[in-house]
Amino acid sequence: MDDTAKIKQFIVDEFMPDMSPDELDSDFDLQTGGAVDSLGLLKLVAWMESEFGVSVDESELGPDSLRTVDSIKAFIDERREPANA
Amino acid sequence: MSESLADHFAQQAERQPEAPALIWDGRAISYGELQEMASRAHAELEALGLPADRPVGLQARKSPEAIALILACLKAQRPFLLPSIELAPETLAKLFGQAGAGQVVSPADGPDGAVGPGEVAPDEATEAQWPPAGGVGDIAFMLTTSGSTGLPKIVPLSPGAIHHFTDWAASQFEIGPGTKVLNYAPLNFDLCLLDIWTTLKAGGCVVLVDQAKATHGGYLADLIADNEVDVVQSVPMLYRLLIDATRESGGRFPSVKQVITTGDKIPATSLAQLPDLFPNARVFNVYGCTETNDSMMHEFDLSGGEVPAKVPIGHPLPDVDARVEDEDGAPVEGAGTGELLVWTPFQTRGYLDAARNEGTFVSRADDGQGERTYYRTGDIVRRHEDGLLTLEGRTDFYVKGGGVRVSTQVVEQAIEEHPDVVEVAVIAVPDEMAGSKLHAVVLPQPDSGFNGMTVRKHLVGRLARTEMPGSIQIVTEPLPKTSTGKIDRKKIAPPQDRSRVAG
Repeated sequence: MDDTAKIKQFIVDEFMPDMSPDELDSDFDLQTGGAVDSLGLLKLVAWMESEFGVSVDESELGPDSLRTVDSIKAFIDERREPANA
Repeated sequence: MSESLADHFAQQAERQPEAPALIWDGRAISYGELQEMASRAHAELEALGLPADRPVGLQARKSPEAIALILACLKAQRPFLLPSIELAPETLAKLFGQAGAGQVVSPADGPDGAVGPGEVAPDEATEAQWPPAGGVGDIAFMLTTSGSTGLPKIVPLSPGAIHHFTDWAASQFEIGPGTKVLNYAPLNFDLCLLDIWTTLKAGGCVVLVDQAKATHGGYLADLIADNEVDVVQSVPMLYRLLIDATRESGGRFPSVKQVITTGDKIPATSLAQLPDLFPNARVFNVYGCTETNDSMMHEFDLSGGEVPAKVPIGHPLPDVDARVEDEDGAPVEGAGTGELLVWTPFQTRGYLDAARNEGTFVSRADDGQGERTYYRTGDIVRRHEDGLLTLEGRTDFYVKGGGVRVSTQVVEQAIEEHPDVVEVAVIAVPDEMAGSKLHAVVLPQPDSGFNGMTVRKHLVGRLARTEMPGSIQIVTEPLPKTSTGKIDRKKIAPPQDRSRVAG
């Protein structure tokens, strides 16, 4: 499963269980859309850290970070450690 | 004795200029400093050339500068509207328009900034309810609360009402010079009348929680412990976060002497752990709303390790009048069930838009008091033999989640605006963190390709974040109906856990 698909799967499982991953638009604003609130953001960050090995410091998160699936993927790409393979 | 908050604050600044007034971002701001900041804000405010006969619109997120700006408005005796910054910009613009605000201002964005225009301007097309019938002399704060239709309702509060409330709160919770009070709530919540305004009037120190970190349990635990906080007031979520954050470390908060839970029903599991977390504290459940401020209170006895099955709202505060009425408006005397109506010395004189008072603020003859205006809470209560009140349900569509009152009717109406929606019902389902979460069930036009994403995208800009449904179920059959053909929300099934709902 590619990274975007993984992210979408996590988001729907955790925050929008009525939807399937392919129904989720990659540019949908998860925060103004009410799907991810401040608690949800903590869950998301914890998952990103464990799933992709990125370490996220609270101070790195600006108001526009992690609002859409696309921006989550971009955030991970910028910070992930070199692939194990 | 002056009723003005600004005067009392100024007195404290004179008496103890070095004493800490606010703790923010790890540093203390003294009474003297805050007084200077307020004076500067006052000068900057006046330099904006605001009209003298209109209220000020405040677009402000919690910060020392925002508090200084509010103090400046109080000092200038300029009524101000302080709505939630979570609202959509269009809604904010309309609210400022309705309040008749001359201009919207925002506080300095830091020690080097200045008071300036807000991002939003008052909407000219919205009918201004200013000046209101009943005059403007008696309005200090204006807060907002959710309505079941249209815009949130603007609630004006008089200096007298605030004076009475802050005096009661200081006395009840022993807030005086040096008392450290946590402020967890956002700046526009009426809880701040205790956390911030009672404390500053009484010469205490407000330990401000940064809204951006309001869900970081570790930060919150450290803030309370490091500052040796005396008084904590919050919706149940804070206590859940503290319990989770200290689970492994076994941390406790021995400095805290008063714990107040309010806004939502506190889950039994959280309540049971409060004596461990706060071994030296009295624990209270306080019931109230923006229109009346606090009206009822119950002190828990958790020493025996038992929590009550139903969390009581308790007894009326001193000088508060509480009535229980049956469906015909007749008083229920002694033990029984009915709607709770309250009169408090701290209540609003009515919504700024007086047309919205109808049916909510009602006149009742009271033995020995003549006629009084009571507020219909919409809560159904049971009065027990000893006079204790417990909450039994609602009479209307309001639910509380995260301390914010949301109207399920407003959410339904917003969803219904989508052309492909045939029927919709929104219900509240219990949530341990938020109190309640909203679940929407939608019957769309067949073959419209309508799904959860359609609803969510449609609602962006129509509803505030706190009003968004947490879960959405798309169905293909009409919703259950009552015998009179209305949607029967009681028959709507709550969402399945974690599984894709068929429909």
